[in-house]
Amino acid sequence: MALDTLIFVLVSGIVLGGLYALMATGLSVVWTTLNVFNFAHGSFVALGAYIAWQVAQQGTGAWSFVFGAGASVLIMFGLGFVMHYCLIKPFERNQNLVLLSVITTLAASSIIENGIQLAWGPRDKQIAAPLTGNVELFGTAIAALDLLTLAIAIAALLALAMFLRRTSTGRAMRAAAQNREAAELMGFRAARLFALTLGISAATAALAGVFIGSLRFINPAFGADPLMKSLIVVILGGVARFTSPIYAAFVVGIVESFSVYFLGLYWAPAVLFAMMIIVLLVKPEGLFGFRSRTL
Amino acid sequence: MKYDPPFHRTSGLVPVLIVAVLLGALPFVFTDTYIRHILILVFVYAVLASNWDLSLGYGGIFNFAHMAFFAIGLYSYGIAAKVLGIDPWLSVLLAPLLAMAFAALLAIPILRLEGIYVILVTIAAAQLLLKIVVSQSDYTGGTSGMVLLPRLTVGDYRLTSDGRIGYYYIALLLLGVSTLFLYKLERSALGRAIKALRDNKYYAISRGVSEGRIRLMTLCASALFPGLAGGFYGSYVRVASPDVFGLGFLTITLSILLVGGVSTIWGSLIAAFAVTVLAEVLGGFGAWREVIIAALIIAVVVVYPGGLYAALQEFRNLADRLKTSGIAAYRRRSESNRRENELGASERMIATPHGTVSVADTAKGEQTILFIHGNSACKEVFANQFAAFRDQYRLVAFDLPGHGVSPNAQSETDYSLETYAQIAADIVEQLGLGAPIVFGWSLGGYVALEYAAQGHPLSALAICGTSPIGIFPDDMPRGYIASPHMELAGKRYLSPHENRVYAQKTVDSDRPEVRPIHQTVRRTDGRARQQVFSRLKTVNWPRQIAFLRNETAPFAMINGPEDPFINHDYCRAFGYGNIWTGEPKNIVGGGHAPFFIQPENFNKAFGEFLEWSGNS
Repeated sequence: MALDTLIFVLVSGIVLGGLYALMATGLSVVWTTLNVFNFAHGSFVALGAYIAWQVAQQGTGAWSFVFGAGASVLIMFGLGFVMHYCLIKPFERNQNLVLLSVITTLAASSIIENGIQLAWGPRDKQIAAPLTGNVELFGTAIAALDLLTLAIAIAALLALAMFLRRTSTGRAMRAAAQNREAAELMGFRAARLFALTLGISAATAALAGVFIGSLRFINPAFGADPLMKSLIVVILGGVARFTSPIYAAFVVGIVESFSVYFLGLYWAPAVLFAMMIIVLLVKPEGLFGFRSRTL
Repeated sequence: MKYDPPFHRTSGLVPVLIVAVLLGALPFVFTDTYIRHILILVFVYAVLASNWDLSLGYGGIFNFAHMAFFAIGLYSYGIAAKVLGIDPWLSVLLAPLLAMAFAALLAIPILRLEGIYVILVTIAAAQLLLKIVVSQSDYTGGTSGMVLLPRLTVGDYRLTSDGRIGYYYIALLLLGVSTLFLYKLERSALGRAIKALRDNKYYAISRGVSEGRIRLMTLCASALFPGLAGGFYGSYVRVASPDVFGLGFLTITLSILLVGGVSTIWGSLIAAFAVTVLAEVLGGFGAWREVIIAALIIAVVVVYPGGLYAALQEFRNLADRLKTSGIAAYRRRSESNRRENELGASERMIATPHGTVSVADTAKGEQTILFIHGNSACKEVFANQFAAFRDQYRLVAFDLPGHGVSPNAQSETDYSLETYAQIAADIVEQLGLGAPIVFGWSLGGYVALEYAAQGHPLSALAICGTSPIGIFPDDMPRGYIASPHMELAGKRYLSPHENRVYAQKTVDSDRPEVRPIHQTVRRTDGRARQQVFSRLKTVNWPRQIAFLRNETAPFAMINGPEDPFINHDYCRAFGYGNIWTGEPKNIVGGGHAPFFIQPENFNKAFGEFLEWSGNS
């Protein structure tokens, strides 16, 4: 195998990893904060892509992409915020919270998916890419859009990490995640912080969706694949730290990229699932985790 | 000891029989193949969801590979019957074996996991299985699936003939056997172990429940009928497609389970019908159908987190309240003469801060005896005492709220020992009874003790069929003989059989003249039983015991030696202050209600007590 092929596969794996990191972080933040697994996360990705496509349609050029992405992130943030009050808050004290939120988020996912189909139709769409052309890197031609995607994904994750660690709101969110009662006694409004968490999660999902929508085609059902990938990432990495799923995302991206190249498209998901189950048997808390559930 | 009557003695018998007969007769009403097809789908979904309840609800194992059991059944039928050419009937029976084998494998990775992790791993396992199925397209048909699977025949008769009536009855049989299996399993030792692991894992393990083995058995048991249903479904629709691994199929089944209600086998059956029929009714709406169904699911789950089963319970609750208050209102109006003759006392309604109660009062005499009846009884149980003591004493008895002809309490919080005691105090005050002699029977004995402990005026206290409780709940099993029938005392809804048994046990007789007592059990508000018992833990028991041991008020404990509930050794050794005859007095031949069944012996003893206490 030639070196440039190796680098090409590796870089595409890393870019994939960046997208997965963006999606999986959104998922793991909700999990660790609300103790809920959000099955609508994949459809957040899809809806984010469609909103960006709709807004970007209004103009041309790189700026329309930027506006589309911005609008999508903002709208999805608001939607995520509202969804906490509709889907999760009604049973936050119910002992069956995990199960009930599974069904409400699955139902929300169904509503979003079919809503997309009603609004935009079943046909494939693609968001006009803001960048074209290639960049020469280690003697290999890499698509500039890939690099931009990776850069923005990493920047977004860094910004989120800064927000959670350095700002008072971010710290309040982590406090509410670690001990809700104590945070409420300190005067924080936990419900609003949780809604904020879901909003941020939806916003990162939308950002990932925007880039997936410009790299590939989108259709109403395309959220299922990002959901499965995020799920693998989250299990593989664990949720012990903010960074655990991020590392795992790059592992998954690279493994996927190589198994697609060597084994073909059909076997790649099987490899990932098998890898995940093996990790669980050996180290149930994830590759980069220890047993606890805090940010 | 758990009260666990056979099914035909529970109140579930009649509705289940009605539904079974209806479903059995339905194909003769609907000869249309389409409606029969929908009903077959309902049965298959009901089997899937109710068996899922075993792992998800009872076991607390969030197994999201449940649909894979069905898929394995479906594909194994397809491969066995079509590719390998095995007899279709045999192939259907082979399906659950493979599903259970997969369940056993699945138990390994989730053994060390909990909660959300189990969800994720089982989803991943199902997806892995899907990828394997899709990749083996030589046997499974890949993404397009398998078609034209062999159908089931009996001799030369195709089960699809005559409007699929054969398949209809097989599906109904499958649902019936599956439900019976779940019902029996839930009540077996294995079922109790499964629930124990869910409710308190470490306690269950410390009591010898093996977590690994029970989880394995839970998963295997929950795979049996879905596997069978998969094989049956394959022979029915004759198509095996990878869609059965999808999130859509999982969502529908899970929503049936949750909309029906978790940890209730019946809820899934109701919801399977509701959701499937709704999905068919909305068939013409395209993508709107999915949106409407999803929105309705969210609405049901938000309004009734317990599901339709909880909604049904609320309906039952309302019906029970209407029934009991209706009976009470009817008797209050039309049978007051009979009751007044029985007690020889005039009846009146007295309003207290905790609701209006019906009070019988002979209204003449210096010293009063106040009678307080027991759980699910009424003031008329004291008729023999009214006849014997009416000349010497003023006799007052009242129906507790929710009992006899008193109306049901407005608020559930009014059903408690403390409020009952306050009602008694209120009656004493309103009727100007001074310091009465208080006699309490069974639950009324606790009311009498509480009345004394709260410091209301009294000149003597007698209890009957009541074990004093010092430490709650530790003294309950000491003071009472464990018996399955004890559970009935706090049970909300009693079946006709349970009504009979309860009445028999409390008055120790099934003679025709005690039939009215049976009737009063039927009239009693179920909430009164349930609430009083659930509030026992808030009673100030040490205060009652302090009264018994320290106060100088004359006290008597009069029991029947054949009482099926009381532990006489405990009562004897409890230690009292000023007790008549120095120990509990036993009435020869008496049971839980000696004053009722042995009135002459009892009245003689009671008279002696009154004399001893200086109140004659």
